[in-house]
Amino acid sequence: MSDGKPAPIRVQGLGKRYRRMTAGAHLRTLKSALMDGSLLGGLREEETIEALKEIDFEVGRGEAFGVIGGNGSGKSTLLKIVAGILQPTTGQVVVDGRVAALIELGAGFHPEISGRENVFINGTLLGLTRAEIEAQYASIVAFSGLEAFMEEPVKNYSSGMYVRLGFAVAVHTDPDVLLVDEVLSVGDEAFGHRCVRRMEELLAAGKTMLLVSHSLDLVSRLCDRVLWLEQGEQRLLASPRRTIDAYRQSVADAEGREHQQEQEQEQREAEEAGTERWGSGAARITAVRLLCGGEEEPDRERYLVVCGDPLTFEIQVETTIPLEDFVFGIAVATPREVEVWGTNTDLHGLEAVRLEGKATVRIECPELRLGPGEYTVDIAVHARDGAPYDYRRRVVRFTVTAPERGAGVYFPRHRWHFEGGVACRPRPRSPEE
Amino acid sequence: MLETARRSLRFRNLLTTLTRREIQARYRGSVLGFFWSLFNPLLLVLVYSVVFGLILTPERGSGLDPYPLFLIAGLFPWIWASTSLLESTVSLQAHAGLVRKAVFPVELPPLVAVLSNLVHLLFALPIVLLALLVGRILGYAVGGWALLLFPLVVVLQLPLVAGLALALAALNALFKDVRDLVSNLLTLTFFLTPILYPVSALPWPEARPWMLLNPFAPFTLAYQHILFHGTAPPVYLWLLMALDSTVAWALGAWIFSRLRDTLVEMA
Repeated sequence: MSDGKPAPIRVQGLGKRYRRMTAGAHLRTLKSALMDGSLLGGLREEETIEALKEIDFEVGRGEAFGVIGGNGSGKSTLLKIVAGILQPTTGQVVVDGRVAALIELGAGFHPEISGRENVFINGTLLGLTRAEIEAQYASIVAFSGLEAFMEEPVKNYSSGMYVRLGFAVAVHTDPDVLLVDEVLSVGDEAFGHRCVRRMEELLAAGKTMLLVSHSLDLVSRLCDRVLWLEQGEQRLLASPRRTIDAYRQSVADAEGREHQQEQEQEQREAEEAGTERWGSGAARITAVRLLCGGEEEPDRERYLVVCGDPLTFEIQVETTIPLEDFVFGIAVATPREVEVWGTNTDLHGLEAVRLEGKATVRIECPELRLGPGEYTVDIAVHARDGAPYDYRRRVVRFTVTAPERGAGVYFPRHRWHFEGGVACRPRPRSPEE
Repeated sequence: MLETARRSLRFRNLLTTLTRREIQARYRGSVLGFFWSLFNPLLLVLVYSVVFGLILTPERGSGLDPYPLFLIAGLFPWIWASTSLLESTVSLQAHAGLVRKAVFPVELPPLVAVLSNLVHLLFALPIVLLALLVGRILGYAVGGWALLLFPLVVVLQLPLVAGLALALAALNALFKDVRDLVSNLLTLTFFLTPILYPVSALPWPEARPWMLLNPFAPFTLAYQHILFHGTAPPVYLWLLMALDSTVAWALGAWIFSRLRDTLVEMA
């Protein structure tokens, strides 16, 4: 965009309405198409479904633009309209330059004929001339890693091989604009890496990319900006980190609501069975919440945490009789009950003074360095000798995401150093903005 | 209608590639390969020759000998037309992967069906020529210089078949009934077209001109003139052929372009 030329992808006020096809609607569609040239004219409101409404964005030269959202949010429709496969109902979409749409890799492969011949057909489909394909052929085959199978009919290929060949052809078309829809999930890990590297190379070479994916990791790794679609509407268009976090939070919230009743039900049953909650009841834990902590919005509840963020565990407790002998404890574990962290006021060197009426206890962690994954929390209040007043197992859960991947439950702050005959450099595109 | 023609020309690279693919794929894995494009129509000629030449020998009038050659003249081009129309009707569904998932001009699948079957007709031409040669040797006045007009008739018929193919493909995406309708209509049209019999065999002389309303009739008569009688078709046949072809292409291309946007979603 900095070079003053218009952005290669420009989407303005885009809306798409699909027709629900009922028996009578076919006839009316035909009639209205032939009489007034409009496909929707003859249809009533309830016979159409709005897949996209009022979408506006531009993707600049060399920019990688991600689109995320749940199933049925309109992501693929958007991509197909940008690719020119579907026509918009309202608004305008302009795309400049040669487009390679990786929507279904190997779309157009003919099962009965050889991989070699299919490369030529697929290449022609993507706009290459025969001479151009011949020039690129060796490189395409090498990229796909299918040297030994090129003379084999593609019906004998595995689905992974199919995708590899399709991707190899597509990225060799020297596209100006690359449209990618969730295509890399089929190949194996090694090929997936090779594809991502290739996409990074294309981006570094100033190509423009529109990526639709459920893989938030991939989106945050590749993209400069991310659009979140929900039921065809533009929810948020911002940096990958902001959009993805907002999206995850919303998914977690929705799941939370969904699972809340379920969990409460489970909890009640467990309480009755005495496996999830036990104790004398001299003190009762009435609520446990997780709060953002930190400085910005310390009191906002949050169950989705980015590794390294602050987090506060808040415990509401009640007693009917004043207590002088008590210990508050917390234990964090993975869903498979691997203990990750546990401590209590006694271990922390705190001596009980009094506990009466209603009280709030907070455990503040300024920096939670857990690895990505799901965690459960046990909270207990008990006597110094261990006799429980109220022990609540798995009273709350939370999810941790991390900007970089890794294994395990602990993510210390770290840095790599190299000396002597070794050198590394950051990948052309670093994960975050 | 010109727009559709222009689009098709712009994508001729793709059109030839896909047509080649269609032909390559058809006989892949079969032992006799492309010889089937010869055997299939020949077998039909044999069957009709036996049934209508030997078993049922009605008063066809004179001048139909040798009957197998008369049959070939009308039957081979008819097989091209009818197979093209059957295949193109379902072509958008058959190429659904391309139509729905790739940036792809939707008019190509029906046109590929027409062209690949045209290639099969051309493959069969040596057999036709051989048959005519044998006819000549046996002393019949078949073939001759009029044969040079054959390509012209084929080129004239192409817009007719292609136009119908476009219309049928588009309509079948909306109504799956079209496929069954087409296969029945083709059977009916086959018997209404003077392929097995000459127009003069119609018992009601006043009905004969009406036969020419069938757009395939002038073409069949022209092929019979060129291949069987060895004469150039009369002017009124050329005019009819040009008219039928223009109307069919215009109509087919118009229907297709009006429905184009919905085809991708419905294929």
